[in-house]
Amino acid sequence: MRIRRVLALVLFLAVWESAARLGWLDPFYVPAPSTVGNVMVQLFAGGQIWPHLQATLVAAFGGFGAGLVLGVGLGFAAALSPMLAELLEPVMILLNAIPRVILAPLFVIWLGIDLASKVALALMLVTVLMFFAVYNGIKDVDQRLVERIRTLGGGMQFLIRDVYVPSVTAWVMGNLKVAVGFAFTGAVVGEFVASSRGLGYLLQFAQSTYNAGLTIALIVVIMAFVLVLFALAERLERRLLRWR
Amino acid sequence: MLRVRGLTVAFGQQPILEGIDLDVMPGQFTSLIGPSGSGKTSILRAITALLRPERGTVTLDVPLHDVGFLFQDDALLPWRTVRQNVALGLRIRGVAAGLATEKAERWLSLLGLEGFGDRYPRQLSGGQRKRVAIAQVLVLQPKLLLMDEPFASLDAIARMRITQELLGWVEREHLTVLLVTHDLQEAISMSDVVYVLSHGPRATIRARHDVTIARPRSVLETRSDPQFAPMFERLWNELS
Repeated sequence: MRIRRVLALVLFLAVWESAARLGWLDPFYVPAPSTVGNVMVQLFAGGQIWPHLQATLVAAFGGFGAGLVLGVGLGFAAALSPMLAELLEPVMILLNAIPRVILAPLFVIWLGIDLASKVALALMLVTVLMFFAVYNGIKDVDQRLVERIRTLGGGMQFLIRDVYVPSVTAWVMGNLKVAVGFAFTGAVVGEFVASSRGLGYLLQFAQSTYNAGLTIALIVVIMAFVLVLFALAERLERRLLRWR
Repeated sequence: MLRVRGLTVAFGQQPILEGIDLDVMPGQFTSLIGPSGSGKTSILRAITALLRPERGTVTLDVPLHDVGFLFQDDALLPWRTVRQNVALGLRIRGVAAGLATEKAERWLSLLGLEGFGDRYPRQLSGGQRKRVAIAQVLVLQPKLLLMDEPFASLDAIARMRITQELLGWVEREHLTVLLVTHDLQEAISMSDVVYVLSHGPRATIRARHDVTIARPRSVLETRSDPQFAPMFERLWNELS
């Protein structure tokens, strides 16, 4: 399975490279993989990319962590307090329905072009996702398990520890990979809109100078980071949800 | 052990149970049979305070935490190991972790599940999960055991085997049991007393019969007892 995927990728790159060398592809629009590879090597070897990479990672991780805490907290609060649910649910449904990246310009106006506006956008994307994961996770908790704990004599303490928390963990873990993707979307789009640093800023620069090689190289870098994080999230998921 | 008087349960306007009178004597195996949807489960839920009756009283001679409830589905926590599931009730009662684990292990091996303690419920067969659910309840040494069609989801062979095993436990330990079922054979083979519930809505107790087949019993042999066939026919007629 894995070998076949690697082979498919190698084949794809080989065809692309050959097509470029044979002159079938215009290097202005579609540079060869080797050209893109060279750009990447230069980016890393020359050291220009590090401050940008750092900016994007800090924004993505900051937004991811804060969004996780905020989303899980609000989800729990709404599930336990009907009054809070009445207030929060319509707001979250609205935020869930719109493409949340349209808030990016507003965050720039409010928070400036530095880190804060990127963290805010990533946080917004992750919070809404996690809110629904936790809120629905608690509302859809298997009532038979709740009754099992009750008939064994258990109160709220055991309901939370043995039913609600594990059940919510399953929902959160199931959404973790999507959240990682959202965090990067938020950070990069935020940088794209207005910034002086970050992979999104570099992308914006590459686009405005019609540099297809740099654009593709940056896309590959972002994909590589997200894939590594996906793999980590998957390992965590398999560990925590080994009962599945 | 248990007295139910004038129990009426309603969902919305229509009472599904009306004026249920029922007695379970200490050391007796009592069954309640009735058609599906007649509200049998609601009686057990009212006894264990999971449901508030419209009218009527439930009197238990033992505290509620001495009542064991075996559900229709096994309702094991999927994220806890078999051992943790069995020890759950003990932990809730404040038994120290070490002792709870030890007791759980003992009950697992009594029910033929030695070495399964580290597995998760998903990794077990339906029959094995049912045994874990039985261990989870019996480890608490309940004074009264309530069972809601506990074996309905099992295949015929597993069902026969577990029924026989449970019957053995009940007879050895002189457990007091109230079993709710729609299986006439199961009710006759296991019980001292059988109550018949009428069709719902407004289901009520239609008849009460004593089964005096000698104990210890074997599920298979009770079927050839001279009492069995006539009792089966009477129950069948009362149900239809």
